[in-house]
Amino acid sequence: MGELRPWLGLLMSRRWRLLAGGLLMAATLLSGVGLLTLSGWFITATGVTALAWAAGLAASLEVYVPGGGIRFFALTRTVSRYLERLYNHDTVLRLLSDLRVQMFRSLSQLDGLTQARYQASQWLNRLTRDIDTLDNLYLRLLAPPLVALLGTLLMALGMALFLPGPAVLLLIWLLLVLLLVTVVMALWGRRLSRTQVTRADRLRVRAIEQLQGLAELQAWQALEAHQQQLLALERGQSSDRCRLEGRGAVGQALVVAGVQGALVLVLVMTLSAYQQGLISAPVLVMLPLGVMALAEAYSALPGAFVHWGSSEAAAARLNEQGALAGRLATPGQPETPAPMAALAWRQAGFSHDTQRLFRGLNLTLAPGEKLAIVGPSGAGKSTLAALAARLVEPDQGQVCWGGVPLWALDTAAWRSQTAVLTQNAHLFNDTVAANLRVADPDASDQALWQALEKVALAQWLSGLELGLDTPVGDFGRQLSGGEGRRLALARLYLRNPALVILDEPLTGLDGATARHVVRHLDEFLSQRSALLLGHEVAALPAADRVLLLTREGALTEWAGEAG
Amino acid sequence: MKAITEPDSARGTPSGERQRSRRNRQWLRQWGRTVRPWLWLSVATGTLSGLATLAQMGLMAWLVHGVIVLDRPLSELHWPLLALVVAILLRSVGQGLQGISGARAAMAVRQGVRQALMARWSQQGPVHLAGQSPAVLAGEWVEQVEALEGYYARFQPQLWLSLILPLAVLALVFYLDWLAALFLLAAAPLIPLFMALVGMGAERLNRQHFTSVTRLAGHFLDRVRGLTTLQLFGQDRSAVKGVARASEHYRRLNMRTLRVAFLSSAVLEFFASVAIAVVAIYVGFGLLGYIQLGPAGELTLFSGLFVLLLAPEFFQPLRTLSQHYHDRAAALGAADHLLDRLQPSVSEPAPATDHRAPLPDRGPEDAVTVTDLVVRYPGRGRVFDPVSFQLPWGQSLVLTGPSGCGKSSLLHVLAGFYPAAEGRVSLFGAPPGRVPVAWMNQRPFLIQGTWADNLRLVQPRATEAAMEEALARAGLAQLLAAQPEGLDTPVGEGGQGLSGGQAHRLALARVFLAPVPLMLLDEPTAGLDPFTRNDVIEALKALPGQGITLIMASHQPELVAMADHQLWLGQNRQAPAPSLAGEAPHG
Repeated sequence: MGELRPWLGLLMSRRWRLLAGGLLMAATLLSGVGLLTLSGWFITATGVTALAWAAGLAASLEVYVPGGGIRFFALTRTVSRYLERLYNHDTVLRLLSDLRVQMFRSLSQLDGLTQARYQASQWLNRLTRDIDTLDNLYLRLLAPPLVALLGTLLMALGMALFLPGPAVLLLIWLLLVLLLVTVVMALWGRRLSRTQVTRADRLRVRAIEQLQGLAELQAWQALEAHQQQLLALERGQSSDRCRLEGRGAVGQALVVAGVQGALVLVLVMTLSAYQQGLISAPVLVMLPLGVMALAEAYSALPGAFVHWGSSEAAAARLNEQGALAGRLATPGQPETPAPMAALAWRQAGFSHDTQRLFRGLNLTLAPGEKLAIVGPSGAGKSTLAALAARLVEPDQGQVCWGGVPLWALDTAAWRSQTAVLTQNAHLFNDTVAANLRVADPDASDQALWQALEKVALAQWLSGLELGLDTPVGDFGRQLSGGEGRRLALARLYLRNPALVILDEPLTGLDGATARHVVRHLDEFLSQRSALLLGHEVAALPAADRVLLLTREGALTEWAGEAG
Repeated sequence: MKAITEPDSARGTPSGERQRSRRNRQWLRQWGRTVRPWLWLSVATGTLSGLATLAQMGLMAWLVHGVIVLDRPLSELHWPLLALVVAILLRSVGQGLQGISGARAAMAVRQGVRQALMARWSQQGPVHLAGQSPAVLAGEWVEQVEALEGYYARFQPQLWLSLILPLAVLALVFYLDWLAALFLLAAAPLIPLFMALVGMGAERLNRQHFTSVTRLAGHFLDRVRGLTTLQLFGQDRSAVKGVARASEHYRRLNMRTLRVAFLSSAVLEFFASVAIAVVAIYVGFGLLGYIQLGPAGELTLFSGLFVLLLAPEFFQPLRTLSQHYHDRAAALGAADHLLDRLQPSVSEPAPATDHRAPLPDRGPEDAVTVTDLVVRYPGRGRVFDPVSFQLPWGQSLVLTGPSGCGKSSLLHVLAGFYPAAEGRVSLFGAPPGRVPVAWMNQRPFLIQGTWADNLRLVQPRATEAAMEEALARAGLAQLLAAQPEGLDTPVGEGGQGLSGGQAHRLALARVFLAPVPLMLLDEPTAGLDPFTRNDVIEALKALPGQGITLIMASHQPELVAMADHQLWLGQNRQAPAPSLAGEAPHG
């Protein structure tokens, strides 16, 4: 329950909408109760009057007011039902939209390392499925039991006008039923429904895995084994889900027994009260019919509450998300970065999980200098770049631009002065043009073609039917590795940075293409500072200075080829 | 490419639309037939519950009539009271069983469809699936299949019940008072009409809704994966706006669906309410003797009350059905997508055969024979000029050429992922796809799990010692020794937690673990630093001598030098090419 509290708080920010929606729900229920009770009352009253007439007694019955009432309730029930459902679903969707955006914003504020630590497909789940699950909160779990409670209280109150004692008995009975189909159902289904979400998650992760590794698995003929594993997992999830639905069905049976049992109880009590002369015949019929109409408010409860655990689990995961560390601090009064200055790591240290990558690192990149850093994988070259791009903060010392620590700079301004090609620059599942315009949303088609020309993609792309609108596929899979890499590189040409950081810019490019790309890169870098990272000097554009970053995290002069 | 991702050329035209929706309905019914016993059980128990409800209403009316009109004391009425309790119990049990058997039916369908989808993925193969987002496909496999649940668990049984139970009610009311039955009958034919009108719109909207949900999921995953890239270009804020727009768009779409979907239940609500009102007023006036028409004069409190109580029950099954109508619409929407996945599209090559052949003995001298091979991609045309070569057992071949020249495509054909447009390919005397082949990509394929999980992927029964040896040969001995958890060290999605070179090596270690006669390596050293690369090349050098035939695409000088043969796939290949350049110069 505690897990849901923050989300209840968020719901409350729309409390007037929720209240209006709840009132519409109550209006629908009460219209139904009114329709049936008034009809029962009317029929019995006419029947009794007819009997009196047959016995030769003088009796009269006003028929037009009840008739009008019946028609009125028939109309209000229809209208309020339609409005209620529409209005409430709109409310929920608004809340969901708010939630999604809020979650995405909080994700985008995380530093690069924390982002990398969480797997993207699980993040997606957080963003869509968990948030979607929370729509149960109001529409299925919060409002319906409250409306049922309200209806029950009003019913008991109405009955108390005629028979106070039995009304209390009815109230107790119905409250017990309410407890049974909400709290008890929630507890009964809790374990199963809690694991439903995580198991569906696991299924999805494994399925994505199978699809991404289809080539390897199929070639190796290991696909069948993976398929069997996945199907076994699916059977487990599926049969658990079936059990959960089964419990919901049992709850449905309990609701019928409970509410119809209350009906029998009321019937017996009103019949005997009638025979004792405590109530009139029309009232005798009216009260049980009221209970009968009330059944509607109860019928959806067990099915909703048996899934309580899934809402709880979703809320728990979202809470965890909100508590993630690794946010980049925002300065109170950010400084504007100098147009061109020296970049310096001063006594910088950084550790990743338990592994210390480097400490006390001192390095200066003079304005306009081209500095290449080579070294083995895992030595921390990319981290060096991430520190300069301010994707992560150093845990010791600082990184400065023109003597000002990066954390004190306006982040957006700093980003606009840098252009970074990371080792795994992402290609979005969109067109070539859209992928390029990530770098500059206002770039003209002509600018895009120029950038593509500089990475030797223009000729290839102009030969394709769709040109700039060619889709690149998920992860850029429709492109070859080299093409994708060059497309990511082309983005940089759409910017005008003071500092360029290139992490393995020429990986996967063959000789002729690499030469073409390097020629344009050298030209691009001529007026800028550049940090060039790679495994070997040959795979980098021309540098003024070359340093070696060892696995121990130390910088030394580069002595020549490794090996 | 367009043709691969959008096989819905029939969509949009009214007749195509109708055809599709008929096809979708048929598909749902076909699956329904596979779970018929469960569906029938659900209908039977639901009918039991419905009939018990009718008995309950009759008994209640009888009790009221007995006490008010016949003046019987309550003590004489214990039998009807007991019968009332029994009727309610039957109603309750029937309801429960209806739900349980429906859930069983849905489970069976769910499992069947998932299995069929999975079979389809492997049938399509990696090349054809490359244009589709794994997240979208996996999302469909999980969520869209789950969207079928309600159709079998609730809608299908309820469809029968909404036919059986109203008829039972009508017969009963007809027996009690045929004029009242006529009122109900008058309302009844209008209902299916309205439902059909409303349902048709709801179905189309639901399909849009599902498309938007799936696209939204893909959009999210893609943006999240690219968050760092977005941050670096200062686009994270505008991406938040993009997400907001997508969410808002999703809300609007949803509301459009719901406005129509709720209309169907409103129509029924209206008829049910009006019928109660009309019957109540008719019975009331009849009892008073104001109506002299037909049976109205013979109405008693029993028959009048019974008819009133039956009036809502006449509509109840239909109301329940309309509540489940979105289940149907959801299932049809899901069916539309799932069927597209399950049916081959025009641009797709003939499915690769996946008959497993036994590991070949060292038979034919030439392990790999390629004759006049041509590969074509839809929309990209011929990838390279006809290629021919023969590669003897245990030798290695390197494919070179500028990027985009078709090195990967040739490997795809050899692996059996993609058919040859022309020419012949023989691997150990069999067509591609029959013998297990080790495959390594530019992105090493790593699953979430431990190092051991990743290795056991290709050799489920591998011992720890074998795995350690394979890791050592892949150059990971040192790293393994540094891991406190050893082989149980976790690997994140896509190799998170490992450097690029380490991830490559872990994937490479599989090659040393599983016995394969042929290994295809697509840029195996891309992104490795010179130190690691030298390690990997050393390890790869050990392979040819062990009877494993090696074909790799690379322009890494060391690998080119290492290979026994070289094949240049670039544009300026003289035709007919002396395909094998023979012994490449070592050094």
